[in-house]
Amino acid sequence: MENDTPVGTEKKYIVRLAGLKPGASRETLVQALQRLFKGKSEEEIGKALERLPLVLSRSVTEETAKKIKLFLESQGAILKITYSASAIMAPPKEMRRSEITPARPMPETDESAPAGVERRAKPRVHTGIHVKPMGVGEILDRSFRLLRQYFWLFFIIIFIPEAVLFVVNFGMQSLHPASMALRRSASMWAGFGISAVLAGLIFLVLQFWAQGALIYAVSETYLGHSTSIKGSYGAMRKRLGRLIGTMILWSILVFGVPVLFGIIAAVAVPGLAMMGLGGIFTGIISLVAVILAVWIFTTLFLNWLLVDKVVVVEESGWMKALRRSKELMKGRTEPGFWKSIKTKASLIILVGLIIGIGIHFLFQLPGVLLGIVFPGGILTMMIQGILNSAAASLATVYAAIAMILFYYDIRVRKEGFDLKMMAEKL
Amino acid sequence: METTKDRLTIQTPEQVGFEYVLAGLGSRTAAFLVDTVIRWFFVIVILVLVALFHKFLPVLDLSAWVTDLSKTWLIALAVLAYGLVDLGYFLFFEALWSGQTPGKRRQRLRVIRMNGQPIGWLESSIRNILRAVDLVGGVYPVGIVVVFLSGNNQRIGDYAAGTVVIVERKQGVPRDRKQALSPQVLTHPEIEWYVSRLKPAQYQVLRSFLERREQMDQDHRHELARLLSHQLLKKMARSSRMSMSYESFIEEVVASYEKRRRAI
Repeated sequence: MENDTPVGTEKKYIVRLAGLKPGASRETLVQALQRLFKGKSEEEIGKALERLPLVLSRSVTEETAKKIKLFLESQGAILKITYSASAIMAPPKEMRRSEITPARPMPETDESAPAGVERRAKPRVHTGIHVKPMGVGEILDRSFRLLRQYFWLFFIIIFIPEAVLFVVNFGMQSLHPASMALRRSASMWAGFGISAVLAGLIFLVLQFWAQGALIYAVSETYLGHSTSIKGSYGAMRKRLGRLIGTMILWSILVFGVPVLFGIIAAVAVPGLAMMGLGGIFTGIISLVAVILAVWIFTTLFLNWLLVDKVVVVEESGWMKALRRSKELMKGRTEPGFWKSIKTKASLIILVGLIIGIGIHFLFQLPGVLLGIVFPGGILTMMIQGILNSAAASLATVYAAIAMILFYYDIRVRKEGFDLKMMAEKL
Repeated sequence: METTKDRLTIQTPEQVGFEYVLAGLGSRTAAFLVDTVIRWFFVIVILVLVALFHKFLPVLDLSAWVTDLSKTWLIALAVLAYGLVDLGYFLFFEALWSGQTPGKRRQRLRVIRMNGQPIGWLESSIRNILRAVDLVGGVYPVGIVVVFLSGNNQRIGDYAAGTVVIVERKQGVPRDRKQALSPQVLTHPEIEWYVSRLKPAQYQVLRSFLERREQMDQDHRHELARLLSHQLLKKMARSSRMSMSYESFIEEVVASYEKRRRAI
């Protein structure tokens, strides 16, 4: 297989991009490839990178192959170089050094990576960090530890949209036409309505941005890296459109399908009753319809629970992200009902909910008491608003962190990505 | 980087240190959830018994003092029974089960004293009577904040009783080798050569793969086996064709390594 036969200059090589080195930046590689393929846009190269291995050239000389290899490897690429004519002769030593598979045990399956594995972004794991499979208790405790350690980072990321909402709400309340002594014209109401819609849209965008930034920040800190509020929001800029689009699609499907089912049932059941079917029969049908709607909602919600993490971490989007989330959520990694993926997810959501209720209770109680003692005052409203925003942020952040760690736990269990990282460093 | 370990180290007079992993808010809430479900079950049983007692009491006509019992007294008894279950559940279980309740046992948590000793009736009583302070409205609003700010994840009841909740260590029973290795172990003449150059860290990764491979998706399992084998062979700068699968190769390497280690 290996020999040191001198290679003539007339020999031609195929240069393939096999993957990215651990810790390599995809953006840097895209920029490097843009230098090689000047006619191609960043988007085109990005799409091509999703279909690895990628043939960069089918017929280059030894010297050119060497140059490409040196340049791209310095940018974090893993290259595979083979003869274009035949594979009888080995490429020169310099090229052979970093090849992935020179001579190996006979494979029982295909040599190539399973479809979709290579193109998924590999999280960078710090060498000192301990990533391993965790139980629900460990996930919850580690989330708590992470929250305590990076409290201000996570809290402020989530608090920003809440603070904006509070300011906008407060401003709109004081400018509300009904509360103004000025003339209440129709155009004033229209202007107020448009402003309210615009404010709602801005809040929606900010909310998704914060959600993505939190996923990014938790991922970075969990995998042993450091990040900042600005850095987390900045990292989400390029993925924001995809995240918003995917999450809107998610909302339409998760809430829309059961609602549609409910509407059909609401129309069909009275229709059946009018056709002369008995009260008990229509009652049973209504009950079945309600159960089915709840079941559809729960199934869709749990199947696509990880879609936002997939969009941010794996840089996927739309239906592909939904499919990927479903793929991660299906099956079981451990025996027993209580250890099935969906049960674990439900338990984490439930615990997050209870802690969230506790936080809301704690933060909103002073506001309510203040409202009883000093009703209607602007200061009371302001304090209540601040407390509500803080409560909403705090109640969200813990459950969100736990779900992000849960996503990583599934990948550790089902894909052994911690072992892959370790294997690459062996 | 995440650095906090959430551990409690207890030094004995002989200067021997015992390290415990502290239970966090999440696992404690999960245990509380389980306990709540069980407590609700008890409460429902009590309410059903009271309802039945109330319905059939006049019919039974057992004795004069029972029939004189008014509805108000029955309600009072039900409330008392509920209170006993609510408080007594945690108090009795923790005192009798060395700091565990069914929920804590499920989550592998245990309440211990700050010096590492098991808790008794006194500690259990103090921490569970003060639960009422932490548990305003049934959702621990005060407890959440106090645990968050506490260095040892203690709530007010824990501070007062001098207790702490820890995560119990997993029983370190080694897994059956047969679980990790397939029944048909092949023998390759070069395995010994590979094993002699295998480092403990490399062995740990291979061992982890064999232990966890059943949980993995097939595609990723094969991919990982291929990657591990290639990395191993590359590290050993050995290139030879072997007519065996990647997983069999890893199994053989691990089995030989363990055999060699036992021999040493």
